[in-house]
Amino acid sequence: MSTEKLQTDAASMLVEGADPPQNRRRRRRLAPYVFLTPAMLLFVAFLAVPIVYSVYLSLRGYRLTGGGAFGRRRQVFVGADNYVSTFTEPEFVAGFTRLAIYGVIAIPLTLGLALLFALLLDLPRAKATRFSRTAIFIPYAVPGVVATLLWGFLYLPSTSPFSFISEELGWGTIPFLEGSMLFAAIANIAIWSGVGFNMIIIYTSLRGIPSDLYEAARLDGASEWQIARQIKIPLVAPALVLTGIFSLIGTLQLYGEPTTLRPMTPEVSQTWVPLMKIYRDAFVRDDLPLAAASSVVLALGTLLVSLLVLRLVQKRAFGDDS
Amino acid sequence: MRNKATLFGAAVIAAGALLLTGCSSASDEGADSADGPITLEYWAWGTSQQPLVDAWNASHPDLQVTRTDAGGGTDSSAKLLTATRAGNAPDVALIEFNTLPAMIVGDVVAEITDYTGDARDAFTESVWGLTSFNDATYGVPQDVGPMALLYNQARLTELGIELPTTWAEFADAAVAVRSADPEAYLATFAPGEFGGFAGLAQQAGAEWWSVDGDTWSVGIDSEASLEVADYWQDLIDRDAVLAEPLLTPEWNSKLNEGNILTWPSALWAPGVIYGVAEAQAGDWAIAPLPQWEEGNSDVAFQGGSAIAVTTSSEHQEAAAEFALWMNTSEEAARIQIEAGQYPASIVGQELTLESDPPLLMPQQTDYWEVASKIAANTIPDISWGPNVNVASSAFQDAAAAAITNGTPLRDALVETQKVVVEDMKTTGFDVAEN
Repeated sequence: MSTEKLQTDAASMLVEGADPPQNRRRRRRLAPYVFLTPAMLLFVAFLAVPIVYSVYLSLRGYRLTGGGAFGRRRQVFVGADNYVSTFTEPEFVAGFTRLAIYGVIAIPLTLGLALLFALLLDLPRAKATRFSRTAIFIPYAVPGVVATLLWGFLYLPSTSPFSFISEELGWGTIPFLEGSMLFAAIANIAIWSGVGFNMIIIYTSLRGIPSDLYEAARLDGASEWQIARQIKIPLVAPALVLTGIFSLIGTLQLYGEPTTLRPMTPEVSQTWVPLMKIYRDAFVRDDLPLAAASSVVLALGTLLVSLLVLRLVQKRAFGDDS
Repeated sequence: MRNKATLFGAAVIAAGALLLTGCSSASDEGADSADGPITLEYWAWGTSQQPLVDAWNASHPDLQVTRTDAGGGTDSSAKLLTATRAGNAPDVALIEFNTLPAMIVGDVVAEITDYTGDARDAFTESVWGLTSFNDATYGVPQDVGPMALLYNQARLTELGIELPTTWAEFADAAVAVRSADPEAYLATFAPGEFGGFAGLAQQAGAEWWSVDGDTWSVGIDSEASLEVADYWQDLIDRDAVLAEPLLTPEWNSKLNEGNILTWPSALWAPGVIYGVAEAQAGDWAIAPLPQWEEGNSDVAFQGGSAIAVTTSSEHQEAAAEFALWMNTSEEAARIQIEAGQYPASIVGQELTLESDPPLLMPQQTDYWEVASKIAANTIPDISWGPNVNVASSAFQDAAAAAITNGTPLRDALVETQKVVVEDMKTTGFDVAEN
């Protein structure tokens, strides 16, 4: 017995050399931190520092120093002035109203179509699923600006094939970018781009459902539609909440589509959505502090709305933990 | 386990090293060797700039210039502001006249009165006044854009419309064009053209910004401006002019079909039209802009830019030397004319009289005579305020909203006035109450 232990000790001494157990334990404790370091560095450098700087900047402002007609604009502390300006700016609030209209069209349609396509692809007798999945996903791979330009040309009266056809039929051009159709037009671009991505998430979630549930349901005489409604949809509720929150955050941060369409139609102003107003303040009006304050307000608002929605659907989607 | 940890550690160190080399190489860019040739960085847009810089570099081996295109007037001035704050602005930059006061107030451009000396004799009083304020010079004018009427002579003759010389005749001609050809329009009212509208208002006598001692006055909603707004509103209401943005694919296709007949703009316009409608070379010509009163000939400027030396530059005197050569030498003036710019310098303007007409109107052999007469009648003492960028964005949105909602353009001007005055007061300027 003792010789065995001696041998084991000697053997382990040979293997580890001058590496006693205490060092090994310390390494095991340190290992997680070493793995986290690159991500932490990047997080601090590109997320935490800019956020802190933005909040700092939002409390500053450019004011005239040096007097005279041609004094110099310098950065000084202005307290909550920028926040007051943000909340009293009618265009900022109007931007949110437009987002609400856009969101009411875009979010249900994106999620609805994504869910529909995912369910269809999950049907046992579905044909050409590989091709369909790729075809539905490809619009997501088109960069946002390119997609908007593409659709822009499809909307403009003089370059649109749809308007061409309707003109030939004698009905005049289709006013895609005018009045209330503008919201539908922009929502369309987002739906076209976003359905693929959301569909993949829901589809993956569907594939994770054990098939014995379906067997049992079919034995009970359920049709495919009933299986979809009463088994599949409730079980992918977490995925739906996930895609829903993404869509909501995406809606609040709408920027690319209106900005790219702006040169094509006078209906889109420079402050059509909150993020465009922030861009205008920062780079056109040269008022970075005001833009910083508006960004902080937008970010906090997005956070609040997301938390609210999560709290609301918590019980339904993720089940009671009773 | 040890191998994997080592590998990971090595990866982190490699990533860190890459980041550090990235940082240090950026900071090395600005330094020049003390004994070698000085290299200046120059931000400028436009087709004339590279040939001009190449000509300078060929004749000045000790003072080389590297040019970067930082975008058009509005884009590059926004970048100059942020670059100055970040400490990596260029040495010299091309700045539009209307943005120059904002650049002065933003601490971007340096005063170069000591280096420009007798350069003021190379320009007319009114042109020099575009870059000098209270006897302090902040730039050297490069090109000017006296406003003129660019018109499709071939199409107007085809439709039997006579070239208008007053705004009243212009309105009648606009209506006549519509009845002669329902697809064609005499002109466009583009809500985004702040500079163009400002020029038209100034021609009518409005002073959008003026300074008296230390107090600014803003006259964007003065009677003269409102009258110009009402004039164009009337034309839009009667569907006599096209109300949409310029130079979009939509507008370009209408232009190429011969359905846009004039463009009230400036002397730099032929190059722009040639760029989008090359096939119409030979159809277009230039004429003086219509006047409010018969027999007058005043016009304002639209656009035009100056070369300024930045406060961040470590070689301000050398940079000023470059700016002076670019805008007052004969060699540079020739290159400017060839590229379609109308030189600001007297020597440049005289040289134009020996040059061929622009590519868009080879048939108008007296083009430069007409241009020189137009340039001689520009309104002196046009001043721009310190927040033209704010005015421009407010005007663009307000005018676009007016066209979309059918509200009068004069309300757009009142709105713009409000925004501009408020912004100036918040910044701390002394603004006189109207």
